[in-house]
Amino acid sequence: MTRSFPRIRTLALPLLLASATAAIAGNTLIVPGQPVAVAKSTLTVVPSREWNKLGARPGRNTESWTLDGAPLNEVTFYGGIENDRTLFREVSKKEKPLPRFAATMLLTDIPALVESSYRIALDTPLMRIAAAEPAELAGNKAIRFRYVFTLPEEEVERQGEAVATIVDGRLYMLSFEAPTIHFYDRDLPSFRALVATARLQ
Amino acid sequence: MLAVATPGELPPYAGAYQPQTKDERGLWMQSDEEERIVRDSAFVIRDAALNAYLRDVLCRAVGTARCEGVRIHIVRDAAFNANMSPNGFMRVFTGALLRIRDEAELASMLGHEFAHFELRHTLVGFKQERHAHNLAIWAGLLGGGSAIGVQLALIGSTYEFSRAQETEADMLSSRFLEVAGFDRQCAADLWQRIADETDETARGRRQRSQRYDPVGFLATHPTNLTRMRYLAAAAADQPSGRRTGQEAYRAAMKPWRALLLADQLKRNDFAGTEYLLGQLAQDGWTEELLFARGELYRLRRHPRDLVAAARFYTDAIALDPKHAESQRGLGLALLRSGEVERGRLALRRYLELVPAASDAPMLATLLS
Repeated sequence: MTRSFPRIRTLALPLLLASATAAIAGNTLIVPGQPVAVAKSTLTVVPSREWNKLGARPGRNTESWTLDGAPLNEVTFYGGIENDRTLFREVSKKEKPLPRFAATMLLTDIPALVESSYRIALDTPLMRIAAAEPAELAGNKAIRFRYVFTLPEEEVERQGEAVATIVDGRLYMLSFEAPTIHFYDRDLPSFRALVATARLQ
Repeated sequence: MLAVATPGELPPYAGAYQPQTKDERGLWMQSDEEERIVRDSAFVIRDAALNAYLRDVLCRAVGTARCEGVRIHIVRDAAFNANMSPNGFMRVFTGALLRIRDEAELASMLGHEFAHFELRHTLVGFKQERHAHNLAIWAGLLGGGSAIGVQLALIGSTYEFSRAQETEADMLSSRFLEVAGFDRQCAADLWQRIADETDETARGRRQRSQRYDPVGFLATHPTNLTRMRYLAAAAADQPSGRRTGQEAYRAAMKPWRALLLADQLKRNDFAGTEYLLGQLAQDGWTEELLFARGELYRLRRHPRDLVAAARFYTDAIALDPKHAESQRGLGLALLRSGEVERGRLALRRYLELVPAASDAPMLATLLS
């Protein structure tokens, strides 16, 4: 029962989760038509249009791309999250520990892992899984799920779609997020085109 | 600070108050702006019945004249918290509504926040902080080895003051409850449970309990132990048979229970949630609580947790065979434990109960 104090929050996932010391090497242009290895892993995609790779990474095995800026449209690659690792960097290990991926998880456990991680890391109860269905990612059985979330003190509703698979006990996932208004529907096809080219070497 | 009042009466109340000084007008302006943002926020629960109920309990606790100056906003946040702005705008977190057991406890919390408003604590705190800040700048300018010491002492004095305010608000709230006929012991009970839950969370995360710390230098609140002691002492002389309003509170919260439990489960706090569920189940385990406990164990995923989770789901289904979410949890827990046939049976039942479930296409792949 305290009186309130203003809290400072950043908007987008990579910005929020990137530590100040991590290599903020600046953003790089991704040129279309060539396979690109992403998230320091064997996962590759072949973009059919130009993307911007953000210098700030949400976590060890992750990487984010955008078309117009992370708050407007953002693709995040999770390149083989290992057993007992969090999806992205923990904001506070002590106060707000994140749930961890387990190699024994079923594909149906992944949406709940993402939901809980987002709620804790982004400090929002407004995050829910809207639908889940079977899919394929790089030739593997996968789960595709949609979600809706709103960040505190920003109030913009965003939607997300993610495709995830577990190969050799590691989680590979691609997610796309954008504001419900205008950007989500406009840019979803560009994300799906990326997913269709995903390969695991 | 409390005006003198004979036992059984409240201190006199000035009625609709307007800010007087420059400091106060500035604070109110900031609070008005903050309130506009909160009022339009997606995080606020606008359900008319729930809002009317909280308002009714506040009005019964502090009296109609006092509650007229206050607006309550219910904020969706799983933490236990509530706060008050100087212009009379109160935020109550849904995490508090989940943990509170009856009307008397709710009245004690709302009364505590109202007391901050009535005693105009924000203004006093603000002036104190500004004074301390000015002194700290002077200390910094004067330099020398003692500057940091002076600054620390000043910060300490600011927080010390807040602790005194909290105690003052507790005591005025206790007075409200006495006059309104609520059970005053509840405030101490509530703090006891919050302290126990915090301990459990810390233990589960392999951290140290902070309950028995001596009064911390930077603590903004009285330690929970101190608070429980003086609240219990204040209630010791009350006549027996005071009102708790447990039935009415449960009825008002019933439509919200499942949502608030789901928010709590996603906080990744096994030990704290296990303690909380045990407290909520003091009068028996309902299907809702059994389902929540099943989810808690299933999501922790130790092999023994899956066995326990299956048992909780089964118990929930025994109480309510149509509890679809329990069938889903049971199915997934059994599949993970290698009991494929029984698991598929439960998932089929889930899909029969909710054919249009949003995850139906995905779960269907587990059936073949």
